Amino acid sequence: MSARNALPPLRGRVAFVFTEVDFDVDQIVGVKNIKIQDVAELARLAMQTYDPDFAQKVRPGDILVGAENFGYGHPHYPPMRAMRHLGIAGVVAESFSPGYWRGEISMGFPQAACPGVLSAVSRWDEIEVDYADNLLRNLTRGTALPIEPLSAGDAAMLAAGGLVPYLKRDLAGSMTP
Amino acid sequence: MGMTITEKILARASGRARVAAGEDLMAKPDFVLAYDFPGYTDVIFRQMKEEFGIARVPDPERFGLFIDHMVPAATPAEEELHIGTRKWAAENGVRLFERRGIGHQVAAEVGYAVPGAFVVHFDGHISQLGTFGTLAMGIRRNLLEAFVRERIAIRVPATVRLDVTGRLRKGVMERDLFHHIVRVLGPAACKFQVLEFGGPALEALEIDGIQTITGLAMFTGAVTAIANPSPRTLDYALPRALKQLDPVASDADATYAARHTLDLDDLEPVVVIPPSPANTRPLRDYVGTEVQAGYLGSCASGRLSDLRAAARVLKGRQVAPGFALHVIPTSQAIMAAAAAEGLIGTLVEAGAFVSSPSCDYCYGRIATMTAGQRAVSTGTLNVKGRMGSPDSEIFLCNAAAVAAAAIEGRIADPRDYL
Repeated sequence: MSARNALPPLRGRVAFVFTEVDFDVDQIVGVKNIKIQDVAELARLAMQTYDPDFAQKVRPGDILVGAENFGYGHPHYPPMRAMRHLGIAGVVAESFSPGYWRGEISMGFPQAACPGVLSAVSRWDEIEVDYADNLLRNLTRGTALPIEPLSAGDAAMLAAGGLVPYLKRDLAGSMTP
Repeated sequence: MGMTITEKILARASGRARVAAGEDLMAKPDFVLAYDFPGYTDVIFRQMKEEFGIARVPDPERFGLFIDHMVPAATPAEEELHIGTRKWAAENGVRLFERRGIGHQVAAEVGYAVPGAFVVHFDGHISQLGTFGTLAMGIRRNLLEAFVRERIAIRVPATVRLDVTGRLRKGVMERDLFHHIVRVLGPAACKFQVLEFGGPALEALEIDGIQTITGLAMFTGAVTAIANPSPRTLDYALPRALKQLDPVASDADATYAARHTLDLDDLEPVVVIPPSPANTRPLRDYVGTEVQAGYLGSCASGRLSDLRAAARVLKGRQVAPGFALHVIPTSQAIMAAAAAEGLIGTLVEAGAFVSSPSCDYCYGRIATMTAGQRAVSTGTLNVKGRMGSPDSEIFLCNAAAVAAAAIEGRIADPRDYL
């Protein structure tokens, strides 16, 4: 699949590990802030209950790690908009809730399901998500773990940078999943 | 090897003789449905025109729109959204159902639940059309794809089969069965898969109770739920079907990712404690918990069986002083039927606040709770802040249990009132 090969690897530090199973991503900004539209304001409020200094610590390219069924509940878009604003490049989790997954892939935000990730990484480890070889590499530990391959449609959408550019490209006939 | 009903529907929709779980397809939805909501339909209408240069959908009969949220409008901005939706529907020649009830229920009533059809919406609760053998999926903002081209990219989901045996006991409803499924299978048991129902007891459940179960499928991780058509569901769906299709059903030798059997005799009333739909508990463990509000309604519950159960509990009794019981039938048709049966009168006489169909009670837009308040609810969800303040709490339970709690002002066992 050309689209899958076109997807560059993610390389960054583990900015945070959400160990809670069935994690409701709305908690990242707090439910009371979920209707805020201003992304800078959302970014300022993000992670307050987990690590108040998160915004200072995080660097562009950093990656979030989650547990089983990440994104369960009734996920909204603002929490991950805030995370992207802070430079977060993607999320790796043991597994994902489908509604969350679909929503973030359509925003062009890379996600990777990697059974075993929780025990394979620690906070601030340097990791690489390799979509070509379907591997998560822990560069700090020198270990690797398989990730679940993306569907052709998801890979194409991520490669294009999200739903709208994906559809434009696809309608122009340059790619067919 | 045989195929599941899901595989058969997606094979037809993608023009193939057969498909199997895991295949990536381009499939043509028979119907594309949506309710108007900021960030969804308004954005789709704008992107269609501005990003893709499409002035009108080429085949308007495939589309259906609903106005069910923000009904009645409470701000000028809400009414402006509705005006934009009416205008788009008129310009495109697309059917619009306004003030008929909650769209997922109205969709079944007006004939989008065609057995064998493939339907998409942005909202996952559309899965309830699966009651009638329709494959209906919520795909969030990806719904845009269905507005700008005929076929959408989809990976054929695997199926988890759940057979039910036995019979629900007094005071136990289909709602309890659904939350029991989440408890025993787990909130991710069917992730990215279809939950298919079957078994000898399915015919003994109320059709509107099956709509409750299939409509909540997302809380098992499933992308949708479906049941093979039966004479009973075909009797409902075929006369009103908006498209002529041959109903299909799973083959006996279809491949399933997992198979489970549940005995309904084992079930008791449950409560789903805040703040997650994963938290199913026996209701008896929470009897006595003080609650200030009750909500009987939503696309999940609020149908005739629910209203009958509540009326049975409340007949000749009174809602506790100060308790706010809101009863919102799911559609106008259901409300009219309930009125004809005398259920509305019974509920009003008991002190319920009965209002016309709207989605707005389910997500705290009205009947909003403040910090420290608790509700019993048949709504879809109990996450923090769903019905008001993030410091209010929602206990999900069946309609009879909502009515019983309304009498006592505390979580109560409905079996004591039946």
